Amino acid sequence: MHDLPQQLANGLILGALYGLVAIGYTMVYGIVQLINFAHGEIVMVGGFGALTAYLALPGGTTLWLALPLMLLAGILVSTLTAVAAERFAYRPLRTAPRLAPLITAIGLSILLQQLVFAFYPDAKKARVFPKIPGDPFEIGSVAIQRSDLFLIAAAPLCMIALGWFVTRTRSGRAMQATSQDPDTAKLMGIDTDRIIVMAFAIGAAFAAVAAVAYGLRSGQVDFRMGFLLGLKAFTAAVLGGIGNIYGAMLGGITLGLAEALATGYIQHLPGMHLFGGGAWKDVWAFVLLIVVLLVRPQGLLGERVADRA
Amino acid sequence: MTTTSTETTPVIPLPGHTAALLTGLGALAVTASSLMAWTWTADYPGDLTYYGSPAGLQWLALAAGLITLLLLLATQGVPGLRWAAPRHSHNAVLFAATGSLAVGWFSAISIATDLGGLANLEPGALVLAAGSLLAVAGALGLPLDRRTAVPLRILDKRLFLLVPAAPIAWFATHAIPEDKPVAPVLTALAGALAIATGAVLLVQLGHLANSWLRLGTVQRPLPAARELPSWAEVGLIVIAFAVGLFAITFGIDTEYGELFTGYLLLAASVVAALGRSGLIARLRALTVKYQAVTTGAAFAAAASFPFTQTSDQYTSVATNILIFATVALGLNIVVGLAGLLDLGYVAFLGVGAYSAALVSGSPASPIHVQFPFWAAMLTGAAVSMVFGVVIGAPTLRLRGDYLAIVTLGFGEIFRITMLNLNGTTGPKVTNGSNGIPRIPDLKILGWDLGKPTTVFGVELGRFSNYYLLMLLVTALVVLVFARVGNSRIGRAWVAIREDETAAEAMGINGFRLKLLAFALGACLAGLAGTVQAHVSYTVTPDQYTFAEALPPNSAFLLAAVILGGMGTISGPLAGATLLFLIPKKLEFLADYQLLAFGIALIVLMRVRPEGLIPNRRQQLEFHEAAIPAQPTGDGVALTKAGA
Repeated sequence: MHDLPQQLANGLILGALYGLVAIGYTMVYGIVQLINFAHGEIVMVGGFGALTAYLALPGGTTLWLALPLMLLAGILVSTLTAVAAERFAYRPLRTAPRLAPLITAIGLSILLQQLVFAFYPDAKKARVFPKIPGDPFEIGSVAIQRSDLFLIAAAPLCMIALGWFVTRTRSGRAMQATSQDPDTAKLMGIDTDRIIVMAFAIGAAFAAVAAVAYGLRSGQVDFRMGFLLGLKAFTAAVLGGIGNIYGAMLGGITLGLAEALATGYIQHLPGMHLFGGGAWKDVWAFVLLIVVLLVRPQGLLGERVADRA
Repeated sequence: MTTTSTETTPVIPLPGHTAALLTGLGALAVTASSLMAWTWTADYPGDLTYYGSPAGLQWLALAAGLITLLLLLATQGVPGLRWAAPRHSHNAVLFAATGSLAVGWFSAISIATDLGGLANLEPGALVLAAGSLLAVAGALGLPLDRRTAVPLRILDKRLFLLVPAAPIAWFATHAIPEDKPVAPVLTALAGALAIATGAVLLVQLGHLANSWLRLGTVQRPLPAARELPSWAEVGLIVIAFAVGLFAITFGIDTEYGELFTGYLLLAASVVAALGRSGLIARLRALTVKYQAVTTGAAFAAAASFPFTQTSDQYTSVATNILIFATVALGLNIVVGLAGLLDLGYVAFLGVGAYSAALVSGSPASPIHVQFPFWAAMLTGAAVSMVFGVVIGAPTLRLRGDYLAIVTLGFGEIFRITMLNLNGTTGPKVTNGSNGIPRIPDLKILGWDLGKPTTVFGVELGRFSNYYLLMLLVTALVVLVFARVGNSRIGRAWVAIREDETAAEAMGINGFRLKLLAFALGACLAGLAGTVQAHVSYTVTPDQYTFAEALPPNSAFLLAAVILGGMGTISGPLAGATLLFLIPKKLEFLADYQLLAFGIALIVLMRVRPEGLIPNRRQQLEFHEAAIPAQPTGDGVALTKAGA
């Protein structure tokens, strides 16, 4: 168990990544009760947007300058995509039967993947994403990759900014009101359409931050990266209590920790020696989702899920 | 409820009988052109160089011309042909003529582009193109059923910003030196902008055409049919299914992409035309009257397919269509009847296939047993059902959205687990990515399905045998669907789908019934999987993904159900057939197939969420405002609640 601190650190960093993506699911769900399946693909297009900015910069630009620009480009692309999706795919279906927007979301997810696959140059296989060069930091027995510093800085900043926005600004409070009761919020003069667009946009911006963090971590982006990431992030959102933004981050971190610990230690349990390691981590994450749904379906921070028929 | 007022006027005013005359001449020209050479060289697939012997696309032109002519004569009231247009609607003629136009111009353009230039067109092709244009022009002059006013819809004005944006992007890409790494990205972006602009303009053009043509969904009442003796009515059903078998066989047997595209164009317009003419409604009335005969005829038509084939080439396609369609029908119980969105359904097919493979006696299976087929089938179905319950029990108590994501996860986890059980990253069960190969052929009551058998003097190959076996499974699933769907359980599912709270207030145990639907669906998929394992010799994890260019996969299964029509039997069967044949026949689409598929899902949900063959109840739900209440047999207007 001597590498426990290292595993915890890995889990924490991975969890923060899941948490950032989970925010997008949770915000949209909290307001329109829609699982935006395409959110994983919003992350992916954000990653490719950032990559495009990197490619557009002259070679040899320092990452200190490049990173903010990449982030900006990623946020721009993913936000535009999400807002367009809301406007042209989801909004016309807002009063349609429940199945229709879900299926639209699947269509959108496939569409975005294939757009990148078919039209982004050389995107048929993974494209190289810049990494922050240099040796990992050593803090005691824990080694932290330099590329992860971005995430370690960005995730808390994002959370603080979001918390401030939701509780302190007029739009944020309008958002809370809309999620509690859209009809009454509308009667109080809140432009709910604008609030919904805003929820999509904020989720997409966080997705882009996550995409850049993912790219830096793994050194590549590919058109399929959104699928599993989105699935995990949704698991995180459910884990934390869907609709609750702090829950999303907490769920993400829980999931990340669980995954890291499962990867590291499951094989040491009696009779489980063949089910450990990286190959099984997705399976354990999924098992965790099932267990949570069984034991505490409202999630860690969620309130009792009332079915709004 | 909005009522649309209608009128019967021509789109293009033509004097007297000119319109009918023009249409007739055009249709005749199209028919005649099929007997002429369309091109001079045999390089174009199908060899269209002969006079007097139609081939390939020429058969389609012949059919299009004849159908147009038939419908025209029928609407003109020619004695002996009036049966073809019981509604006397000239719209039928217009749709048939449009079919001629589509086939004709598609052929001409495809020949010209394939062979490089208009010079490759022989007079036959020119007669075809001109004739089909004439037919449509004439048909537009016929008194058509139209809406009195269709307001012109303009798209969101912001979209038109694309029109100036596209050329700017194009110039911008050319301003950047080509050796910059970002240059190809910008080129792709400019291309995407151009495509988006094209799409916007096309949609707007469609709106313009719509407000000019004003052809709406105008339904003329169907006059009462003449009473025929029942043997004659049964005979009509048999003839209809024979024609249907011929048409579907033609589609499956098409040898090259051009012919298949032409076939699809023609089939779509002919179905539309016959729908307007009232022939389909007539036939439907007959099938409702003689349900047993219809089921028998459909089954017989499907069973006689292998006898129309000389080689195994297309029976293997047909077998895979059947597997795909059967699984889609199973999914329809879950999605269509009970309203549960299952995004990992193909995993249950995989569970069945893997179970069957493990007990099949394959040398690669770690379990060295060989179950007889009935036992393997039961095993596959039972294991699948157990997984269905394990997945369903925790999730079905919650909102439906949770089920969607959990099943999506299950589909992915199934694949990963099968990959991992390879002996190095996990216990050795499935051989990982190599799968379980060399699954032996089935022997049922001494009949070896792997060996050709001769029935009625026709030799049936391996795939024909499996086709017939699979047809039995399909029949079983159809039977289960029909019986359960109309039972107390089926009605309870529909009630849950419509409003779970209300259904529970009526005393329905929502959770138990949803679990039943989910487990039944899983069980049927597992059943199909056991056959699939034997048909394909090998099961590998990559056969069971969420979205892949080739069916069956979860996304395509769902699409087959939605495209065909949720809650119906014929819908998923038709949807699955289409979705299987299109990627198979149009290989040039390969890279863009999933792209088109994604767009199609989105557009379908906006335009026709009830699918090609809508369930009456579903159609009311989706188009509550548009459909006028029609009196039913007992004189009570059908409403959404009472449907």
